[in-house]
Amino acid sequence: MGKVLVIDYTICNGCYNCQVACKDEHVANDWSPIAKPQPDTGQFWNKVHDKVRGQVPKVKVTYLHSICQHCDDAPCIPACNADAIYRRDDGAVIIDPDKCRGNQLCLEACPYEDVIYFNDSLNIAQKCTFCAHLLDDGWTEPRCVDACPTGAFRFGDEDDPEIRALIEKAEPLKPEIDAQVGPRVYHIGLPKPFIAGAVFDSEADECTEGATVTATNVATGATCSAVTDSYGDFWLNDVEPGEYTLVVEKGGYLVQKLGPVDATEAVNVGDIAVWKV
Amino acid sequence: MAEDMSKTGASGEKTLIRDISFCGVPENGSNASMVDVKDGKIVRIRPMHYDWKYKKADLNPWKFEVRGSTFEPSMKTLIPPYSIAYKKRVYSPARIRYPMMRVDFDPNGERNPQNRGKSKYKRISWDEALDIIVSEMNRIKETYGPTALLYQCDQHGENKVVQACHGAGRKLLRAWGGFTLQIRQPDSWEGWWWGNKHFWGCEPVGQGQQSNLLWDISKNAELLLFWGCDQETTPWGWQGQLPSRLSYWWSEIGIKQIYVCPDLNYAAAVHADRWIPVLPNTDAALYLAITHRWFKRGTYDKEYLATHAVGVDKYEAYVMGEEDGVEKSPEWASPICGVPARVIKALADEWASKRTTVVIGNGGPGIRGPYATEPARLQGICLAMQGLGKPGQNQAKMIEWGLFDKPDQYAQPKPLRVPYLRKAYTGGHPDESNHPSFIPKTYVPKAILEGECDWWGCESETADRVNQFEHYKYPADGCSKIHMVWTDSPSWITCWNSGNDYVKAMRHPDIEFMFAQHPWLENDCLLADIILPVNTKLEEDDIAGDIFSGQYNLLFPEHKCVEPLGESYSDYEIAVMISERLGLKEEYTGGKTIPELIKYGYETSRCEDLITWEELNEKGYYAVPTDNGWEDVPAGFYNFYKDPEKYPLTTPTGKLEFEAQGLAEHFPNDLERPPVPKWVASGISHEETLETERAKKYPLLVVSNHPRWSVHSQHEDITWLREIETCKVTGPDGYQYHPVWLHPSTAERYGIKDGDVVTIFNERGAVLSGAYVTERIMPDVVYIDHGAKWDPIVPGELDRGGAINTIVPRSTTSKNAVGHAVSGFLVNIEKTDMEELKAKYPEAFEKPFHPCAGPGLEACIWGRA
Repeated sequence: MGKVLVIDYTICNGCYNCQVACKDEHVANDWSPIAKPQPDTGQFWNKVHDKVRGQVPKVKVTYLHSICQHCDDAPCIPACNADAIYRRDDGAVIIDPDKCRGNQLCLEACPYEDVIYFNDSLNIAQKCTFCAHLLDDGWTEPRCVDACPTGAFRFGDEDDPEIRALIEKAEPLKPEIDAQVGPRVYHIGLPKPFIAGAVFDSEADECTEGATVTATNVATGATCSAVTDSYGDFWLNDVEPGEYTLVVEKGGYLVQKLGPVDATEAVNVGDIAVWKV
Repeated sequence: MAEDMSKTGASGEKTLIRDISFCGVPENGSNASMVDVKDGKIVRIRPMHYDWKYKKADLNPWKFEVRGSTFEPSMKTLIPPYSIAYKKRVYSPARIRYPMMRVDFDPNGERNPQNRGKSKYKRISWDEALDIIVSEMNRIKETYGPTALLYQCDQHGENKVVQACHGAGRKLLRAWGGFTLQIRQPDSWEGWWWGNKHFWGCEPVGQGQQSNLLWDISKNAELLLFWGCDQETTPWGWQGQLPSRLSYWWSEIGIKQIYVCPDLNYAAAVHADRWIPVLPNTDAALYLAITHRWFKRGTYDKEYLATHAVGVDKYEAYVMGEEDGVEKSPEWASPICGVPARVIKALADEWASKRTTVVIGNGGPGIRGPYATEPARLQGICLAMQGLGKPGQNQAKMIEWGLFDKPDQYAQPKPLRVPYLRKAYTGGHPDESNHPSFIPKTYVPKAILEGECDWWGCESETADRVNQFEHYKYPADGCSKIHMVWTDSPSWITCWNSGNDYVKAMRHPDIEFMFAQHPWLENDCLLADIILPVNTKLEEDDIAGDIFSGQYNLLFPEHKCVEPLGESYSDYEIAVMISERLGLKEEYTGGKTIPELIKYGYETSRCEDLITWEELNEKGYYAVPTDNGWEDVPAGFYNFYKDPEKYPLTTPTGKLEFEAQGLAEHFPNDLERPPVPKWVASGISHEETLETERAKKYPLLVVSNHPRWSVHSQHEDITWLREIETCKVTGPDGYQYHPVWLHPSTAERYGIKDGDVVTIFNERGAVLSGAYVTERIMPDVVYIDHGAKWDPIVPGELDRGGAINTIVPRSTTSKNAVGHAVSGFLVNIEKTDMEELKAKYPEAFEKPFHPCAGPGLEACIWGRA
């Protein structure tokens, strides 16, 4: 029965418990034959990245996670010329620390970033093991999941209906690659670009509520729109990366056009003044 | 999770339960953790699972079922990364493993106090150390009297009960004949304590009544205003991460969250529906403008004020400009606070139209700034004008749920019983005073450097409002000046006001002897003549409670996880050793052994009728069920709202005092804490706003929060935290600098790039820091959190570690309020010329440091490097 890990980015508070618990489990503890000790610092079998998006005051932080995807067709397995990498029945992909000869071919073969590290002092490649040594000792989940306070990390059997429901909500990390390798780590709520700003009546110096802001993708012509709140704020969330032109409309006011703006990541277009007709 | 497996499985590990929290007050334990040990070594530290030995039903779980959704406590403790990483603290390279003496300290010859903070240390034996300490105590007592000994022993440290992290010597020193006590002025509550007690009472801290507010918010609130509150940081060391889960759920059920703070703090970063950046410590102007809008449009509860408040007319006269000709309008406030006038209006209108709770978390303008009493009282006034105490309209705290064992501080569903370990506690408690000789902590440098000082109130951290009208002085009548210092809480420099003054005070020739006891060589330890090694709590037997989590209360005996490192002992054991040499052991210990004290802790825990001692030891813990009927506990100020005559406040009038009667009577002419709260741009105590002349020289405002990756000064040596990108910035010299957040526009203006070493300075000194250029801070403001480990280049002047408190204001909250002011002050910055600095101070830059754990023991040991 295959195990899976589901990471929900929408409820990750960035406490780093997962990264720290991974260190607590694997630094200075030898879990052979599953894993030898992780170096104290600089290497992460479960790495958190602070992704800060937008500009003051429209800023959001999402915490991204780099971790072995435990692929069903893991490219690291055939790439290893020492036959040191294997896939367990529960799906965990393990680099056998005794068989690894330090050729580092797996590091090249892995299509994901910050997953496999090379431990110079032991001359072996190392990465997440799903804490297989604990699963074998009766644990139901790895350390990172046990340490997670919000439920952003969930671990379980892929046939469990609760887990299945989460997998339904997941989206691919790298669509083309995921389709080829079959990762066992699922991602919910990966951050997407937003376009935000605030509309105000410059003569009255009042925030303009109820204005419609429409963004048009310069390349595709696709549009989306949002209505401003009592602060004049609008958030066009989860737009496709690209350049957009914006149109601001409200009855009794002149139509305002601006752009193109670059929404490759996320952009606060700032305060947009509108004038009464 | 399967703890039984780890206990009995093939791994051969043993599981012990420990309270790994950092408040250091016996009734405030939390963060219960499971420590797996094997072969005398800590294998791992992980959340405690309530259902290890109990069924979920035994806990009588509480549930919030509202708005079509359900929220329940987790079945595990929600511990922070510090607890998980605590193994690193136990085995830190900064651990002190044996007694040490400063190499140029000779109790029978030259003492060289001027070299404190500079000189190295050599190993001595326990006998030598105790002989010197006891003979110095006796000499000081004979020469000056016992009050010449200043005992620094206030909280924030590991939570211990029988082994008493702080203040184990208090009882001993009383038996010895007396001493001078450093009273920790109520920090992180300044504005509430010195301000709001005069507005709405709420003894002893001055923050609003909290009972059942988590439920009240869930049921009734439409809008939450998080004001300088970071529930993703500040509660971690105290209670863990239930505030995080709740905040996510409140968003899920449609409660809007607005964050008002200069920085996109860690809570705003993930929970904010809107971030309103405000210039540091200018919130008083913002509150005034909000009430101006309400007065002008009549959008406030006049009927409520008529029956619940006094002095509203005087406040209105000030706001509307009748008093000084200046209307405190949004247009007036905007240039002061940096928030556009239209946004102030929109905020005022939304607040007036929705059931709004203001959420605080022992951070922000209500506590840490100069004149903190003003924004604190003005926040109370805003709440009052909309009908404080109505459902969904209170001041809620995200921290200290259950503070000081007060029922009105229980924001979470009420437990059947609150474990109480005060009776077995051997340390000093915040509510103790020490007449006639005490000094507020904020005044210690002033007292020593100037030889005398006087102040109002602060006889203890829990002293009531009227104590603020009592006048005290140093030295007290019949008492001595300070000539000796004993510290068991050596974090003054990096946590208090103007740490550089403290360094100068400890180097003053009047201080003939200073000794410290601590597990780690850090901060004030570097000033001591003798340093004694202390265990961490994982090396001791004790008893603990977990009462702050907001989930379930716990009581558990604590068994030693590993043997004490080196020659270390617990703080209590050290006090016992000193008592023995003073001939006071029997009197001090009462003849009780540590195992007896632990059992006594159980016997007086209030849970002794709920579980037997045998069962407690067999199970390893007792999990307290939720009380039936918790839903019916009146929330916050609800009783006062319903019937102010029957449930009066503890103010002189029993009402909300827009004009504080006590202040009007005792300090009618105090311009810094006037009877009616005001915007105070500057005064005799502070010139720390952009409106002052100083701003020309120091044009940037600092916001300094409680740190994310440490608890005040604790955990600065944990390598797994230091490698997190917001924890430290590695400089070109490989040294991990404390980060300063700069907006890209600010950085560009000063020619600073991300990762540069930066000097932050004003006339009080300078600290080095690592630039973290980010959109998480508003332009023209710098953010640096406090607590960084002091690593002096020039003690009292220049620090490499980034201890920003070395250069915060030396004046207190205001003239008559001796709180500290440590955020919202002026500095300048520049890119550091490292080569020039290295050439000027070669010795400091040649000191060895651990590349991943920071400065440690190595740099301070005689004969090495």
